[in-house]
Amino acid sequence: MHELSIAQNVLDIVSEQCIRSGHTKIDSVNLRIGRASGIMPDALIFAFNAIKTDSIAWDALLNIEEVPVTGLCHDCSSSFIVQEEYILNCPACKGCSFQIISGRELDIIDMEVS
Amino acid sequence: MKVKVVTRILEANERIARENRRLFDNAALYVINLMSGPGAGKTSILEKTLTLNTGLRIGVIEGDIAGSDDAERIEKHGAPVVQINTGGACHLDANMIYEVLQDLPLQDLDLLFIENVGNLVCPAEFKVGEDIKVMVLSIAEGHDKPLKYPLMFQESSALLLNKIDLAPYLDVDINKIKKDALSLNPSLKIFEVSCKTGEGLSAWTDWLKEKALRS
Repeated sequence: MHELSIAQNVLDIVSEQCIRSGHTKIDSVNLRIGRASGIMPDALIFAFNAIKTDSIAWDALLNIEEVPVTGLCHDCSSSFIVQEEYILNCPACKGCSFQIISGRELDIIDMEVS
Repeated sequence: MKVKVVTRILEANERIARENRRLFDNAALYVINLMSGPGAGKTSILEKTLTLNTGLRIGVIEGDIAGSDDAERIEKHGAPVVQINTGGACHLDANMIYEVLQDLPLQDLDLLFIENVGNLVCPAEFKVGEDIKVMVLSIAEGHDKPLKYPLMFQESSALLLNKIDLAPYLDVDINKIKKDALSLNPSLKIFEVSCKTGEGLSAWTDWLKEKALRS
């Protein structure tokens, strides 16, 4: 829902880092977005492409690696990966006591600059 | 060439939220980020909370896309209040809060409510420097809401089930709301309340007093 403000944050961060590293153009940016982060990759790419035009990232490709929701069950000690965006029970023992390990990421990993 | 960035996209917001947190701690102020969909009754809950004699000195930040109706309602109860208009943004962020803190007498307050923009999705994503998040769901919104909007239920410390007086007129399954909300968040504290009849509100304010004075 707020992909545009997330895209603006990404653009601000990578532009600053590109200039700080002594380069003038961003060719690509790699993000890691958790499936439970509430961010839709397609909408984020659309927003990024809309706002990048007058920046040093005007030609940059936004690559998004989606991270599945994974967790660790406190009852049966199994670790699990699910396709859903959230879980209510451990898929193995149906217990309710578990910890989410990944799936909420909203990270910039690296970028190609020239 | 490749440049490592390794930055959380919301790092800037989190940095400002930490600064807000520092200012709140300096003033020994307990801060609640109050969230719900539009019309669930956030402002009514605040009005009732201000009316009941909690002994707490309460301030309010009102977040809305437009207008100052909510701040005017709060002001009538004599509480210090600031209205933020987000101008279209679907949530409050840490910087919007930071910019209005100078307009509130933080040192003279025990408890600050930040009433977020009515929205069941985005407000849960952005920290503003609060101690806890509390959400309101009116039972008229339906029993499917916890599973449709899981994040807010997972992030909240308490859930106010408002408009409970409407239960006889609705087909809503209140037990399902509670069961699903607790599955998403086993430590969630649930209050069934009605701003119309006053039902359940004293349990809420007792809990609030305990939270705010323990900080």
